[in-house]
Amino acid sequence: MQSAAAAFAWEFRRRHRWGMLAILAYILALAVMRLTVEIGNDKAFVIAMILPMSAAFLYFLAIFSFGLAGDLAARQSMFPSRMFTLPVTSTALAGWPMLYGSIAMMVLWLATRLLGVWPAGARVPLFWPFLLGPCVMAWTQALTWMSYPMPGLRVIVTVLWLTTIDAIIMAALELRASEGVMLALLAPHVPLAFLVARFAVSRARRGEVPDWRRAGKRTHVATRGRDPFPSPARAQEWFEWRQHGRSLPWIVAILLPFELALLFLFRQTPVIVFETLCGVLLTPPFMAIFVAATVSSGVTPFITKRPLTTGSLVAAKLKVAMRSTLLAWLLVLIAVPIAVRWSGTTPIVNDWLRELVKAIGMPRAVAVAALGLALLFASTWKQLVQSLFIGMTGREWLIKTAAIGALTCLGVIVPVAYWALGQRVIVAKLWVALPWILATLVVLKLVAATWVAIRLRDRGLVSDRTLLAGAVCWDIVVFALYGLLVWITPAVLFRRHALALLAILAVPLARVAAAPLALAWNRHR
Amino acid sequence: MNVIAVSGLTRRFGAKTALSSVTMTVPRGGVYGLVGANGAGKTTLIKHILGLLRAESGSVRVFDRDPVADPTAVLSRIGYLSEENDLPGWMRVDELMRYSRAFYPGWDDAYAEELRQTFALDPAAKVKALSKGQKARAGLLVALAYRPELLVLDEPSSGLDPIVRRDIVGAIIRTIADEGRTVLFSSHLLEEVEQVADHVTMIREGRIVLDAPLQEIKESHRVDGRLPSLDEIFVAHAGSA
Repeated sequence: MQSAAAAFAWEFRRRHRWGMLAILAYILALAVMRLTVEIGNDKAFVIAMILPMSAAFLYFLAIFSFGLAGDLAARQSMFPSRMFTLPVTSTALAGWPMLYGSIAMMVLWLATRLLGVWPAGARVPLFWPFLLGPCVMAWTQALTWMSYPMPGLRVIVTVLWLTTIDAIIMAALELRASEGVMLALLAPHVPLAFLVARFAVSRARRGEVPDWRRAGKRTHVATRGRDPFPSPARAQEWFEWRQHGRSLPWIVAILLPFELALLFLFRQTPVIVFETLCGVLLTPPFMAIFVAATVSSGVTPFITKRPLTTGSLVAAKLKVAMRSTLLAWLLVLIAVPIAVRWSGTTPIVNDWLRELVKAIGMPRAVAVAALGLALLFASTWKQLVQSLFIGMTGREWLIKTAAIGALTCLGVIVPVAYWALGQRVIVAKLWVALPWILATLVVLKLVAATWVAIRLRDRGLVSDRTLLAGAVCWDIVVFALYGLLVWITPAVLFRRHALALLAILAVPLARVAAAPLALAWNRHR
Repeated sequence: MNVIAVSGLTRRFGAKTALSSVTMTVPRGGVYGLVGANGAGKTTLIKHILGLLRAESGSVRVFDRDPVADPTAVLSRIGYLSEENDLPGWMRVDELMRYSRAFYPGWDDAYAEELRQTFALDPAAKVKALSKGQKARAGLLVALAYRPELLVLDEPSSGLDPIVRRDIVGAIIRTIADEGRTVLFSSHLLEEVEQVADHVTMIREGRIVLDAPLQEIKESHRVDGRLPSLDEIFVAHAGSA
């Protein structure tokens, strides 16, 4: 390697070659489609583009800011400390990753702009979005490489600053600013962010980490004075809670004020009030998707050496995920009524509730609301735990394959589903075949669950009693859900057996049950 | 009764054979030194004893139990400290003590506190803020405070200063002072092994090449009437590879 610049480039290429190759392959496939197939103005194609391109955007942000390897909540800089001893200036340390990240973002936009199908007559700008990607990249890098005086401050500062930039751009677009004005707004950002990044890196290189905690530090309460844990299982739950349990409630607590602020800004617009409340209710399950990665990846050698059964280690994770979900939802359920009341949007919300009661009657309306909340709650917990059976294997190749596979499926299934739902003939056929599709999925789920149960029993990972108790609990939840669905769903819309199949599919079973198998595979290699 | 009984243990990682038909027994009491060059298979053997690796062929029994089938019963009787200190960095020292105590019924609060004070560990300090030596001391504290029947030390002294190394040797002596306790001590710092071990097992390229009481090994390698050091014996065997 001839220079530091080439060495930095090689490291990015070498470490992330599979991800970058996947993006390149996708762009090439898109180019081939664009050149060979008459696409017209197809929304399915647009969706097929937006999802992977957005994922690629986030992926580039993560890798070029070294965000995949560091602790986002820590006070210390996320710039890899091993690079501080390289014989290069701080300008080079900050500059080369920023340059490569900016180039990656520019290429991504060019691909989106040139290969995308845009609405007829729409004037899609070329230059200012070309600058927007590097701008977001540069600020993300600068703010993640900065050391902070308080834990968690990095997330707040970065989210606030990027939201501010986004708000300025949106406001400029709303005011129909010209391309020149947009360029003038964005142009200073990259050099400014570079100066901040260089300052951040050189400070981190000197080991300077400000600390505000000393000023308001509580007197340390010695744990020796606290009661010992009553059992190893409780100690493990405490461990899980301290390590992962607080993440989701914290993230929800940070996002809620920003989301609910929209109620105050748009109190006169019922559509935005509705969308805001929907967004707030979807926040815990959506954010749980991201938190799940940390929950399932936290099986360190320290944990594997605990004198605790594999089943107990998994049980601690499941319980803490439940507690985390409860706290996140408690925050939502407290904050939403307060925000609705203070923002003066109570009449709007009351009108919707009255319409719902009028349409289906009070008991059903209450049941629908309760079921909706229960489903959102269950979905949050499910998001947190359903990938445990992959993450707890500790096999990086399996985790990466699963992530790429899921993204690929999403990139294919969503546009195909969107396209299919637009075709009446296909929708009619799907409707007729729906019970068979559901039945096939149920059979697959039950076969997988049976296989998992047999393996758990054979390997002695879970006792017969626990297996039986789990099966009984699952049956009760499925029956309760089925009963509720039968009660609130009009008989003309769904046959009862279809509702039974839906209830079976909705309640998690095989993947959650497979978590102890995954951990045992990791623990005893 | 043997604390550890390994029989015909073979382990491969891809094309590399890490352990080849290893058979060894560790009876109760005494200090067993496990020596060998880097990559000889010492850590792989210890991981099998802890149940972190499953025996591909052969068998491993610890306290007459299979450490993979019954990790709770085996791990609750073992104190373990390794070169790769993997204590959670976010915990404070006192939290680490409170957390660890829950897993071991024999945890002795007074002894744990005595060790903490001897090792000069601040209870309010986070593990990640400790120096390498202090981390090793914290690891030693949680490995000793429940007076385990078997203490397993995997290269515990690597990269540590003489004072921390002295603490580790002191811990070994303290453990064997309790009658019936056993120490399995892996190291390539041979003067340390020579200082405390009663019995030495030498591994080379996954095979056991020497397995006998230390004095017996020395006697069998006597040169011109002089007893050689373990260092010299090690070099002689490594050189014949």
